[in-house]
Amino acid sequence: MDASGDSPSQPRAPFALQRLIVLAVLFSVEIVAITLWLDNATLSGRSGLVGFVGTWGSWILRGATGFAAIFSTFAWLRNRAPLAAALFEAGRSHIAWPLLSAHFALIGLFGVLSKFLYGTTPSDAVAALWLASGLGAIALGAAAFIHPVFWLRMVRTTGYLWLWTLLAVLFACIAGNSQRALWPWATDLTFRMSRILLTPFVSGVVADPARATLGTPRFTVEIAPECSGLEGVGLILAFGLTWLVLFRRECRFPQALFLLPAGAALIFCLNSVRIAALILIGNAGAERIAESGFHSQAGWIIFNLMALGFSVAARKTPWVSKVAAKSAPPAIAVENPPAAWLVPFVAILAAGMISRAMTGDFEWTYPLRLFAAAAVLFHFRRKYATLDWRIDWLAPAAGVAVFALWIALDHFTSPVPESMPATLAAATPAARFLWLAARVLAGVVTVPIAEELAFRGFLYRRILSPDFESVSTRRFSWVALAVSSVLFGFLHGHQWLAGTAAGALYALVLLRRGRIGDAIAAHATTNALIAIRVLAFHQWHLW
Amino acid sequence: MNKIVALVLLGIGVGSAALATNVPEIDPASGASALALLAGAIVVMRGRVRR
Repeated sequence: MDASGDSPSQPRAPFALQRLIVLAVLFSVEIVAITLWLDNATLSGRSGLVGFVGTWGSWILRGATGFAAIFSTFAWLRNRAPLAAALFEAGRSHIAWPLLSAHFALIGLFGVLSKFLYGTTPSDAVAALWLASGLGAIALGAAAFIHPVFWLRMVRTTGYLWLWTLLAVLFACIAGNSQRALWPWATDLTFRMSRILLTPFVSGVVADPARATLGTPRFTVEIAPECSGLEGVGLILAFGLTWLVLFRRECRFPQALFLLPAGAALIFCLNSVRIAALILIGNAGAERIAESGFHSQAGWIIFNLMALGFSVAARKTPWVSKVAAKSAPPAIAVENPPAAWLVPFVAILAAGMISRAMTGDFEWTYPLRLFAAAAVLFHFRRKYATLDWRIDWLAPAAGVAVFALWIALDHFTSPVPESMPATLAAATPAARFLWLAARVLAGVVTVPIAEELAFRGFLYRRILSPDFESVSTRRFSWVALAVSSVLFGFLHGHQWLAGTAAGALYALVLLRRGRIGDAIAAHATTNALIAIRVLAFHQWHLW
Repeated sequence: MNKIVALVLLGIGVGSAALATNVPEIDPASGASALALLAGAIVVMRGRVRR
């Protein structure tokens, strides 16, 4: 393992960056605990400051999280060198333990006040103290880990970025909370469009505009206000705006701005297609697929297709793109270095999304993920033949350690074990065996290979350099380790903490000798032990 | 890549804000996978280089 730091051209910040990461984790844990504990619905209908907390409390929390994410991202992108130098300076000071103690004292006070505020006798005075203790705890926590001089320098270095971020977050929160006023209009329009789409395929459409129910004599749905398509419009507008800001040098303005209303209108219309398709699936006899898998996945499938379409249009359409006409001459070879590292993982995700959309309570089509990954791995086999597949004894040992950690943390997150899904238990022995074989094979072979190639082989090194294949697989970096592990953890749902720790351990196994084979062997060992636990001890919730 | 990471972070931020209520059409439980799929596809799409 090379302890060569994050970049040879930048000063190392020995402790400041780690402290920032610890601070982010501390705040995240506290926010999650508060969110799970307190229910703003109990304050709805109140007046004064209590009513303000009830109406806007959750939005303020989301806004603060969004502000931190957006501000830190753009601050780092635009002012990397001066911020790295400031972090280096901040790393020389120590953690202010008295301030950290004060932070925890205020968190305790916040908890006590929460019992009063969310109890039977809330008052404006308690609400004011509650807000003050919360804000004070944030300020003290931030000042305890990183000296206030760094925060001041960060604000000064980034100019008016804080103002633009604040305005963007305020707009998002107000628009998000106010969009409910558009729900009746959007629901009515979606209802009408879905009915028009349905009419050519079904005789005797059942439609009740007053209750917004639509369907057939056999299968009917109610178009709830939340299903009116406005969330999809919000997501595609946010994606499109971000794309146009980040890749503004590639776009022709003002033509490129046309993509925003076009994308919003198209995704709104596609929501009606989704509802019509859902009714047709239900009418065909697959009610559970319509209500369960298709209902939950179709929205994301449409958003992903729209976002990819937006990015292709913004890059390939000469009317809106400056780079569209600059295609490579036939004599110049074109390569795609990330493809071999990422496509297996992308194929598993895409197959999983389609597979879930096609099934109801039980994912019978899970083997699609196995076949998709196997096909892509076979396609890139020549590239993989050049990698180091040797395995050290420590790799399986690390896999066992991750398994032990996973099971230990599972006790806290999933205390009630689940037995075999009823649909699988009721299947014929042959069908059950084939499904289980595919599930185990995917977990032990294709998933570890695809995830290690993507997270440790690609993402870890790509964070360090655009030419990621030139980065040694033994080069250590706190930033790359933290970012790649946390993103890996996010993909494991409620097991995010175990996932993050697992990602970090697999990365350390890779860094020890620089062999991708070690990381894959460790990951495969963990997944094999989990499969044994699921099958032998009926712990089906682990899958 | 920094831009892609920024895009994903913003996507997560905006997504969490947009999902203020439990919106059935955009299932929050599938959000991380969907955003990872989108980010991966964009990286591959923009990854072509001339040698």
